Amino acid sequence: MAPHDLRRPFKRPAISDQQRRREIALRRQNQQRSDSQNRARRLASSVVSLQPEPQPESEPDIELE
Amino acid sequence: IAGIEVPHKQWPELVGSLLSSIHQQQPHVKQASLETLGYLCEEVPPQALDQDQVNKILTAVVQGMSASEGNVDVRLAATRALYNALGFVQANFSNDMERDYIMRVVCEATLSPELKIRQAAYECLVSVSSMYYEKLASYMPDIFNITAKAVREDEEPVALQAIEFWSSICDEEIDILDDYGGEFTADSEIPCHYFIKQALPALVPMLLETLLKQEEDQDQDEGAWNLAMAGGTCLGLVARTVGDDIVPLVMPFIEENIAKPDWRQREAATYAFGSILEGPSPDKLAPIVNVALNFMLTALMKDPNNHVKDTTAWTLGRIFEFLHGSTVESTVITNENCQQILTVLLQSMKDVPNVAEKACGALYFLAQGYEDVGSASPLSPFFQDIIQALLTVTHREDAGESRLRTAAYETLNEVVRCSTEETAPMVMQLVPVIMMELHKTLEAQKLSSDEREKQSEVQGLLCGCLQVIIQKLGSTETTKHVFLQYADQMMDLFLRVFACRNATVHEEAMLAIGALAYATGANFAKYMQGFYPYLEMGLQNFEEYQVCAITVGVVGDLCRALEDKILPFCDGIMTQLLKDLSSTQMHRSVKPPIFSCFGDIALAIGENFEKYLAYAMPMLQSAAELSAHAAASDVDMIEYTNQLRNGILEAYSGIFQGFKNSPKTQLLMSYAPHILQFLDSLYTVKDMDDVVTKTAIGVLGDLADTLGSNAGTLIQQSVSCKEFLEECLSSDDHLIKESADWARLAVSRALSG
Repeated sequence: MAPHDLRRPFKRPAISDQQRRREIALRRQNQQRSDSQNRARRLASSVVSLQPEPQPESEPDIELE
Repeated sequence: IAGIEVPHKQWPELVGSLLSSIHQQQPHVKQASLETLGYLCEEVPPQALDQDQVNKILTAVVQGMSASEGNVDVRLAATRALYNALGFVQANFSNDMERDYIMRVVCEATLSPELKIRQAAYECLVSVSSMYYEKLASYMPDIFNITAKAVREDEEPVALQAIEFWSSICDEEIDILDDYGGEFTADSEIPCHYFIKQALPALVPMLLETLLKQEEDQDQDEGAWNLAMAGGTCLGLVARTVGDDIVPLVMPFIEENIAKPDWRQREAATYAFGSILEGPSPDKLAPIVNVALNFMLTALMKDPNNHVKDTTAWTLGRIFEFLHGSTVESTVITNENCQQILTVLLQSMKDVPNVAEKACGALYFLAQGYEDVGSASPLSPFFQDIIQALLTVTHREDAGESRLRTAAYETLNEVVRCSTEETAPMVMQLVPVIMMELHKTLEAQKLSSDEREKQSEVQGLLCGCLQVIIQKLGSTETTKHVFLQYADQMMDLFLRVFACRNATVHEEAMLAIGALAYATGANFAKYMQGFYPYLEMGLQNFEEYQVCAITVGVVGDLCRALEDKILPFCDGIMTQLLKDLSSTQMHRSVKPPIFSCFGDIALAIGENFEKYLAYAMPMLQSAAELSAHAAASDVDMIEYTNQLRNGILEAYSGIFQGFKNSPKTQLLMSYAPHILQFLDSLYTVKDMDDVVTKTAIGVLGDLADTLGSNAGTLIQQSVSCKEFLEECLSSDDHLIKESADWARLAVSRALSG
């Protein structure tokens, strides 16, 4: 039950640069994950729009990218 | 022992026997019993004691605190016990009479002749201010009077607590104002009482007086905390709470003191100015700053006192932070004064370490203000000089003092991050320079433990700097191409850095490698053999969970860079990730990114993920059930639950997309009912955030796209493909709408097939 430390940050920025580096890396990773997902979906959507009728199973899928 | 047993109801007679000891006559037994009750309240959660026990403890503690208690040690033990018991007395604080009584006893104890009792009583007041803010209105006039007297007349430990009371009230009001965006309605949970606004005319002069009570050389002492520091910090919080209203109350003090012969007056005036720069509107501050800027620049160069120069450089940094940048309309930095500012800051970096550190900090925010400047930055003509000056600072003999070296590298990072195309060649020249610095730290041998600590710190800073450079140069094709000539050497250095056992350095090197993998792409495969042991080591780092979390993110980077070339390493990676998920030691914040990482791996290796399905899917399934029905007890829990849901959904998306067009798609069929049920339950509970909504509706699309007509009936039976999808299609959030468009297309295809 010692007196608790009441020091507050003094003349220091709210977020350290190290914290910023972590956050920027995380943002980049999230963005790239979402880009990969969207790429996969766009590819699928293009195939769908180019192939309104289901293709016979023997015919290979068209690779667009 | 009670801390372990009482929550399990295993020592029911304890509280009763302690209470009966308190009623004994011997003071030392009373004191020891109160201390034990205090420790008990500190250790056990509030729900571990029933209200009857709480009432009895409170009665005994408050009696022990009252002025009628003749023994000082008993009174102190009781006051400290109350501090710990405050979290238990919600019900008593809701009762007006009981609350009045507790508050009266606490306020009386702040006037005790014993310093330690006064200090402990103020600690209780500080704690009450954050726990029971909404109940304080009727006590505020009295509290103002006693705190003002303590700040002006009492000894420092008590005066500091009295200031802390007002800082804590500011924290509460800032939070409330943030939560409701300044708009209060009758149904707002906690109304703002505007205590600070009401106290302002008396509070501000009281705080300004404290600014004149600086200690000599406080800027060189990392552990310093005194009245002037606490007062200025509180003034800054007051400015954030009330905004423009503080400016006319502080300006006369600044004008009166800023040019006085006594350094204390000049420093106090400057500190007051710096403290109020966050909160008031830029419109209100810009005219004042425009007048003050030249004065500040001259003071930074010419003031004979280091303390004044330190605070002046800090104030300049605050000016650049809050009144400069593309989002600030009334910016105070023009192309004309920019050169003068830079000249002064670069000169100031040669000053004593604490002043030079603040000058670096000011340059950090000056550069940050030009982050979105486009192709031509006003800093570009001085880029070479800035880099040179910062590198020179890092080589100073005294760069270890006052965080100077760290500040210089961090500023270098921000200057690089905010640089434009026109200075890209100079950033490129920096690559071999920083690599050479890192190389030098690795060559040093037979170091003492102090030297090794310093070496680790420098290595962390250099890896951080390389990470920023890699990201900058890797972001455009032309610079990336040139930059990649250094990749082999750089990777070699990073691997050597891993040999030094230090968590921060590992984290920094790992982040840099993630950025490098993204820039290198499939060619990163050649480094994998050498890098893999360290990757696995990072994934095993339970103690320093930040390192583990960063490493999990890097696995994602590797998946996107290497695609199916990551396959040979997946058994090891998946084993470790599954272990991390099953571990009770692992910090919970690492679990959502691990789920997302499953998605990254599945997307990279496609149907080869088959062998992990039997392990990953049950884990996802049980986490999904837990997260769908998580009782959202507080804001943190709600946020965590949403992160967990997002991770699980990203895993499902990656797995479905990975298996797309594979002959093994049918393997996923048995998991589809549960996944659709998870989506339905998320929709029904309606407490997910926009990110989860976007990911969830995307999973519906991915499931339909991959399983096609085989899952048609299942999809049709779900709520997700109807109401949930409709709601997302009409969302204002374009990301949700985009995912929903995809889901609609895939669902309609699955249903029509």
